[in-house]
Amino acid sequence: MTTRLPLSAAIASVLFAASIAAAPAIFEEVAARVGLDFVYDNGAGGEHYILEVMGAGGALVDYDNDGDLDVFLLQGQPLVPGAPPSGKTHRLYRNELVPSGALRFTDVTAGSGLGVKGYGMGVAAGDYDNDGDLDLYVTAFGRNTLFRNNNGDGTFTDVTDAAGVHDDRWSTSAAFVDYDRDGYLDLFVANYLDFTVAGNKQCFDPAGTPDYCSPNAYEPVGDRLFRNLGNGRFEDVTESAGIARADGAGLGVSIGDYNGDGWLDIYVANDATPNQLWLNERDGTFVDDGPLSGSALNAAGNPEGSMGIASGDYDADGDEDLFVTNIIGETFVLYRNDGSGSFDDVRVMAGLAAPTAPFTGFGVDWFDYDNDGWLDLFITNGAVNIVEKLRGDPVPYRMPDLLFRNVGDGRFEDVSKQAGPALARLEVGRGAAFGDIDNDGDIDVLVNKNDGPVRLLLNQVGNQASWLQLDLRQPGNNRFAVGALVTVERPGLPPLKRRVRSDGSYLVAQDTRVHFGLGTHTGPVAVIVHWPDGAAERWTIDKVRQRISLTRGSGSPATAGPAGAAP
Amino acid sequence: MKGGTWAWVAALTLVFLTRSGVVAGPAPAPEPPPLPEIALETFPDDAREALKGALDAARARPEDPEAAGGLGLALQAWEQWQSAHEAYLRAQALAPANPQWFHLDGIVLQRIRQPAQAAEKFARAWRLAPERLAILARLAESLFDAGALDDSERRYRTLADTPASAPVGQLGLGRLAAVRGRHAEAVAHFDRAIALFPEFGAAHYARAQSLRALGRRDEARKALAEHRKHGTAWPGIPDEWAALVDTVREDPRGRFLRGLRRAANGDLAGAIEDHEAAVAVKPHLAQPYVNLISLYGRAQQWARAEAAYRAVVELGYNLDDAHYNYGVLLDAQQRYEEAAAAYRKALAANPFHALAHNNLGQALERERKFAEAAEQYRQAIVNRPSFRLARFNLGRMKIATGDFDGAIRELEPLREPVDDETPRYLFALAVAMVQGGRRAEGVAMAKEARALALRFSQTDLARAIDRDLNRLR
Repeated sequence: MTTRLPLSAAIASVLFAASIAAAPAIFEEVAARVGLDFVYDNGAGGEHYILEVMGAGGALVDYDNDGDLDVFLLQGQPLVPGAPPSGKTHRLYRNELVPSGALRFTDVTAGSGLGVKGYGMGVAAGDYDNDGDLDLYVTAFGRNTLFRNNNGDGTFTDVTDAAGVHDDRWSTSAAFVDYDRDGYLDLFVANYLDFTVAGNKQCFDPAGTPDYCSPNAYEPVGDRLFRNLGNGRFEDVTESAGIARADGAGLGVSIGDYNGDGWLDIYVANDATPNQLWLNERDGTFVDDGPLSGSALNAAGNPEGSMGIASGDYDADGDEDLFVTNIIGETFVLYRNDGSGSFDDVRVMAGLAAPTAPFTGFGVDWFDYDNDGWLDLFITNGAVNIVEKLRGDPVPYRMPDLLFRNVGDGRFEDVSKQAGPALARLEVGRGAAFGDIDNDGDIDVLVNKNDGPVRLLLNQVGNQASWLQLDLRQPGNNRFAVGALVTVERPGLPPLKRRVRSDGSYLVAQDTRVHFGLGTHTGPVAVIVHWPDGAAERWTIDKVRQRISLTRGSGSPATAGPAGAAP
Repeated sequence: MKGGTWAWVAALTLVFLTRSGVVAGPAPAPEPPPLPEIALETFPDDAREALKGALDAARARPEDPEAAGGLGLALQAWEQWQSAHEAYLRAQALAPANPQWFHLDGIVLQRIRQPAQAAEKFARAWRLAPERLAILARLAESLFDAGALDDSERRYRTLADTPASAPVGQLGLGRLAAVRGRHAEAVAHFDRAIALFPEFGAAHYARAQSLRALGRRDEARKALAEHRKHGTAWPGIPDEWAALVDTVREDPRGRFLRGLRRAANGDLAGAIEDHEAAVAVKPHLAQPYVNLISLYGRAQQWARAEAAYRAVVELGYNLDDAHYNYGVLLDAQQRYEEAAAAYRKALAANPFHALAHNNLGQALERERKFAEAAEQYRQAIVNRPSFRLARFNLGRMKIATGDFDGAIRELEPLREPVDDETPRYLFALAVAMVQGGRRAEGVAMAKEARALALRFSQTDLARAIDRDLNRLR
């Protein structure tokens, strides 16, 4: 039997289908097409070492200072004792966009000094030696490595021992931060668990199938803070700075001024242990205000399986809010900052609880994909234990990615389906880095997957709206102005605030340029920069839809808030 | 005749309209939802056997709600949530007056975070079994999680007015007030919940958050300390149907999990029995053996503990914990040298094992190798900064080696949080101060330690502090 639709309904349906077909997908996946042929190999050999399920990240930074974002990706290794080494190394890809004009990557690993073998985890990027280029700190299961960038000439030198920043434990995310405002970037390193191959625990899923252990099978190990002494060396100040007063299974790190006092604080996402909010006491020490701030535990007072962090002002009220990805069944959490460093868990009200419940999230960040001025969310997902519906699948951990659009009233709309087939693909997402990789005025996403090829999601829609990108520079110290807070003022609209940072998400270093979606605004904007030392400067930018460099001292003085805080 | 004609026409029209779907006839009973598709071949033996039995029963008796519900129960016990939900749907359709399947389905939906759907199930179950407070508690919670605050409040009020569920009701009312920004009212509810059940961890935490919102930060910190002390303690509301789930599994892993619960409840013999049952069937399971080393040790069954240790070493998994537990066992028998060797083996398998570092430090201390002991304690702290006992031990070592300033630096952070360990930490800090020349501060600290010792009924420690104070005088 055939069910016929009335003619009018059939016509409407055809028109609707046509309009869907005409709408471009928000993202197009182009990694292989543009030369990013990296395939991550976690080295799994059937022993279910917990390390194998955590994946890796990389960096999306302009290492050669040529004006486009290059790609550095971390690789795994076989862990089973006696297994032959894979021969695979971390890989560095140079973006040929500038000057060729075409987005194309060339593998320049050979001779770069970065093509090392090891079980890589995460990357922090920062100009620790103030020579004008971005250096890379690579965390690992095993020895962490600080690679000094040799004047952007495409070569790096391992200076770990000379700098004194080694850590042999299982490190994950790291971040450069000038916490003491001396002009030199210090280094925070999150550490995860006391897992070792020889101490591997045997674990099973609820049905008894061998599976990866929960983090509770191991003990968390403490994080580390290294203070940059300014002479190429760092001092381990973990104890004296107070960081040793709490521990947790650290996975994500973000830097921000969460209590609005003008000094940079550190937020750490811990897996199955309370998250930490290290408030900067302005005297070289920190206190963990996580439990009191409301950003450490869920409403019942229990820790969640936290992985990645997005830090930014999603509600345009001037302070930095936190979004944290969690494990399946917990839902991902949005902590809304009241401006003083007190957070409310608003995941339900924001519409972010139910849609995230079936997912285990890793890489995430706030980014304005449609340039409407409101920060949206991209989340890459992938389970760490066998997914019920994927029992029997060779990789039973695969999940689609998610895209949430900020509606602007505190709520989010799940637009994953409109994002295109790139997000619907079932894979095991881990590190996700954000930046305008094709310099076309909107933010793209690079995702290191745990079970296969890297994905580059090119934004197809953002630059239909207005935008502005700023590349900040300071003469002398902290040349990339990491930690600076940038405000853009548009007449009649709330000011937009973004921080210069390369931290956040999960295991990645990201673009230090700041991007502003401006919606339909095409007129001049005022830009106020609060430099990391608290001084403030103002510019008027007449033309939007452009990327410009702002050098300290070239603007006019502006008023700083109390203790250098943003007013 | 006329009337008859009209009747005939009317009947014919009715047949036509009914067949064409314009007028609905008596609705046939809807087909109950199908049983879940379960790929049994993807499960290991134990699970496959258990689930196959339940699935076969449900297929053999397709109209039997107990069979469908039994399958749901089995799937829930094996944490196959989506399939359990589907089985419960069929059981509900077959027995719409039985609240049990609605309630268990609600629990499954809560587990997979579908609070609105869970609330519908609990509401139905509650209508059918209004005497069961456990259903009402879950209904109130699901409504809260689904954002149906007014409905949730009605349910929590009922719970608060019923003595057996009053603490849970007060917590819920407090959370509702907090979410509406009425934090003073919230604190009053949390206070009532805590008065009724002082160990209510979640209420202490929620109270801390509301106090913080009110700007009463010192009180909030104290509430957080209470939360740390009590953790997840929750006033139980008996739920026989939910408890059924824990009784379903008799497979080795199920017995192991039950053994863990019994150990946590202090049932040593029961815990041993379950762990032994697990490894009797599945001798390749490592963790039960690791636990048995400790459990037998607590029961002073040394030979059995040794056998469990040998078994896990043979398996080659969980070795760091196996060696560590064995070391503790040997310590308990005063076989100190062998214990130290076991801790060294634990550290060979896992150089970051904080507990093994600490215990090896104690072994070295017994041999008066203070510097080496101090290094072990330091490693314990590096790997687990919040390990207070190791920090205390390091502080003591620094006193023993005359590094009083160093000892004070280590011991100072132990002043918070205050628990029953704090008095001896403060006493050690007092000793370091006095011996380091800060006599007045040390005496004051010793007095503080003494007062705290008495607060925790540690009379022996209080007497020891008295003796030292007298000597100082």
